[in-house]
Amino acid sequence: MDELDILKKQWQSREQNLPKLSYNQIYKMLLKKSSSVVKWIFIISVAELLFWISLYFIIPESDLEIMDKMGIGKLILYSDIFHFSIFGIFIYYFYKNFKSIQVTDSVRILMRNILKTRRTVHYFVYYNIGMFIISSLVITIYFYTRSEQLYEIMDFANQGVPQENFATVFIVALIIVAIIVVGLLALFYWFIYGILLRRLKRNYKELKKMED
Amino acid sequence: MNQELEHIFVTQLEENQNIVHKICKLYTNDSDSHNDLFQEITIQLWRAFPKFRGDSKFSTWMYRVALNTAITLYRKSKRRISTQDYETVSFKIKADEYDDTEEQQLKLMYNAVRELNDIDKALVFLYLEDKSYREISETLGISEVNARVKMNRTKEKLRKILNP
Repeated sequence: MDELDILKKQWQSREQNLPKLSYNQIYKMLLKKSSSVVKWIFIISVAELLFWISLYFIIPESDLEIMDKMGIGKLILYSDIFHFSIFGIFIYYFYKNFKSIQVTDSVRILMRNILKTRRTVHYFVYYNIGMFIISSLVITIYFYTRSEQLYEIMDFANQGVPQENFATVFIVALIIVAIIVVGLLALFYWFIYGILLRRLKRNYKELKKMED
Repeated sequence: MNQELEHIFVTQLEENQNIVHKICKLYTNDSDSHNDLFQEITIQLWRAFPKFRGDSKFSTWMYRVALNTAITLYRKSKRRISTQDYETVSFKIKADEYDDTEEQQLKLMYNAVRELNDIDKALVFLYLEDKSYREISETLGISEVNARVKMNRTKEKLRKILNP
């Protein structure tokens, strides 16, 4: 008999000096709120979905006017319709995955479903960042090739912006903004991963390793 | 109806609370965290209770929900004050029944179990609770063969912790 079996024998026969809660103490616990990982993942995920969707509503009218004048108003409208259809698909999958999280499943399936839910939101974010980068690039290049037209539409002459370096400054500014945005997002995800998912991922890997 | 359900649930949990306490003890380091985890397990059990059909024993069903909560859902709190007292009280035995060396060894063994990772701990816990490999494999979601293999490896790991 090895040490663990000795412990097993004792484990069952001995009192382990465990706390004893009364009926009322347990009853009171039913009224408290959960603070589980799943709850936090849900809150953060919904916040992310709302954040990215709301970005499409806070573009000022004046920007849209510029787009119109630059001749890409229609293109923006079609791409918005496309985006929102994609958003709909993501939200459907997020909801479906979230619903599949059951605490009564086996440990492995529970973990897999949580990670799947999270992954849907990640893809949603990747999609948005990707689209952000692509559309910035396209618009920058498009504007660069028509920088004179843009200079006139934006009325920069009256604001005292010199025309000679305008296009270069414009592009550098766009690139800097894009880098800052992506950097902040990376930091945000690293943080969320740190507090919510590191342990879960480690444990899931451990279980998966057993099955391989 | 709801009140009746609450009553049945609380009574069952009160009767079987030792299972939850043992899990809390293995997965936390101080009594505050122990209580936090117990609280979270209770909430998860209560939420899942309406779907509990009674086709398995209440206690069997509890193992799964409680371990899922401890391993996956519970967010460890920042309090990390590990009190030695809390660990050493885990086995309180009548002094005349057991001699000191055996007692000392058991304490070491128990502490070694607590050093394992979350998954190994669950495996050992179910083993100590005398669960069959079938039940262990179903709770963790791995095959029975792999549960056995893993158990042997974990025993090896424990041996190494005890005799470095």
